[in-house]
Amino acid sequence: MPGRRLSKWVVAVPMGVLALVTIYPLVFTANVAMKTRREYILDRFSLTDSLRWDNLVTAWTSIGMARYFANSLIVVTASVVTLLLLGSMAGFALSQLRFRGSKAFFLGCLAALFIPFQVIMVPLARVMADTGLIDTYPGLVLAYVAQFLPFTIFLMTSYYKTIPAEIVDAARIDGNTVYGVYRRIMLPMGAPALLSVGILNALFCWNDVLISLLMMPSADHRTLMVGVTSLRGQYSDDIPTFASGVLIAAVPVLLTYLFLQRQIADGVTAGSTKG
Amino acid sequence: MPLRSSSSLVRPAGSGRANGPGTSPARHPAGSRQHARGARAERLAPYILLAPAILIIVALRLWPLLLGVNFSFTGDGADNGTTVGWANYLELLEDPLFRGALGNVGLLVVLLPVAVAIPGLLATFIYLRVPGHRVYRSVYFFPAVLSPVIIGAIFNLMLAFDGPLNAVLAVIGLGPVDWLGDPDVAKFTVVGVHIWATFGMALVVFLAGFASLNPSLLDAARVDGASLRQSIWHVIIPSLTRTIQFVFVTTMIGMLTSMFGLLYVMTSGGPEGSTYLPEYYIWIQQGQMNRPALASAASTVLFLIMLVAGLLQISVLRRAGREN
Repeated sequence: MPGRRLSKWVVAVPMGVLALVTIYPLVFTANVAMKTRREYILDRFSLTDSLRWDNLVTAWTSIGMARYFANSLIVVTASVVTLLLLGSMAGFALSQLRFRGSKAFFLGCLAALFIPFQVIMVPLARVMADTGLIDTYPGLVLAYVAQFLPFTIFLMTSYYKTIPAEIVDAARIDGNTVYGVYRRIMLPMGAPALLSVGILNALFCWNDVLISLLMMPSADHRTLMVGVTSLRGQYSDDIPTFASGVLIAAVPVLLTYLFLQRQIADGVTAGSTKG
Repeated sequence: MPLRSSSSLVRPAGSGRANGPGTSPARHPAGSRQHARGARAERLAPYILLAPAILIIVALRLWPLLLGVNFSFTGDGADNGTTVGWANYLELLEDPLFRGALGNVGLLVVLLPVAVAIPGLLATFIYLRVPGHRVYRSVYFFPAVLSPVIIGAIFNLMLAFDGPLNAVLAVIGLGPVDWLGDPDVAKFTVVGVHIWATFGMALVVFLAGFASLNPSLLDAARVDGASLRQSIWHVIIPSLTRTIQFVFVTTMIGMLTSMFGLLYVMTSGGPEGSTYLPEYYIWIQQGQMNRPALASAASTVLFLIMLVAGLLQISVLRRAGREN
């Protein structure tokens, strides 16, 4: 049907333009990051004549991006490991074990899922201050775990529900305790879901600014995203260095996306098909 | 399960799974006596597995919610801890910044169908395999995984008065527009950037919905001579009600709770407070103005808005789904 093919191209062209528009801002920023200040002021649109890494090195070493990067890496790693551990434990219990109150626990998790951080941030900051956890790494990790745990439990529970009860029963007959079943069956079999949920949580924590801003007020505890926001005021007259800082913060996400796009999409859509 | 208590009486040494679905003695041929000592520990196992999660969720999410509501009826500063009734809520209603923030929420609700329709339409075209559909999917989804801080920082460059967007407009003889400095323009700019940054998320959800769509329905419509618009209206939308419902609710939650990064980086609520949203107002009152009780009142209002809007959408869409 030639008519239909033509109409497909009529749609494809604007969609291609939209794709370019989606990518261009990042390309522009990367290009600016390579320029000298002089080059930027003279012509900000032309492609850089050479790949200069000076601005990136400056951003990494002298304006604290290395420190912020390390802070983010520590907090995100600790948060994701804790989330996966607690989420898989709870998901296993809620999906495969029968016990009094399991429905109530699951509903409590669902309710917590619908409480946005903005709604509880004031009292949470007070609780953290009262317990001396504010402005500490464990405090921020706890805040992230509390924020993303309901979602993690929800997804792990629905994933573990697909594991047949016979497998668990067989492992029990072989003499495994409940904890043995968790370690030998649930953790290995849950790997695809753990990977997907883990990546998604890593992105959430890495990208967050509000929770970090609230929980880590002091300058040398800044996470990477808070660090980027602080660049704006400091480097408003040195756009290439500013762009370099932004690029450094974006690269880990870009790499994750290039290699693990499918897992990210799986995690995002899991709620829509199972909810 | 009515048999629960009796079955555990019959096998007191039963494991944590003794009450499980379809559990029969045959499945535990080893006999439970050997496990008698471990039985108690086994029965407690589900609770031990859940304990850390419950502790964290109750202490750091459910408890703060109650604390916050309670907090919103107390005073700030000198009145710290004393009950002031509805005073904070009345102050909110009189604060032009908060009223502006509520007005902007209204604007977001009005723009919500647009923010749902764009990814819905694009997902339809990708599903119909327009040339290059695989590339589009990957490219469109990418901004959705970037932090609002990065998006905001990049768009500060793009939307600068002498930046790329105004340069493009100048080529076709328009502008320049003060995207972030004009109070009448800035709020649309920020919402636009937010939609640009997040439509890929909804797109992926729509595509997952399409995967569950029965292709023979569309084929039948085509054979009957239905146009693309008729196919969308009479086949795709009715079959994707659940997905559309999900996207509506999540998009609205996203608009109300994940624009902080953009506001913080792009406008700081300005110019002239025109880009305030409740979440930004809460942040300012808590972090900058030292008015935690007032901020708690704003939090409670935001929670109610989200609750009402969420329930309303679900009921409206459910009714629409039934009519179809």
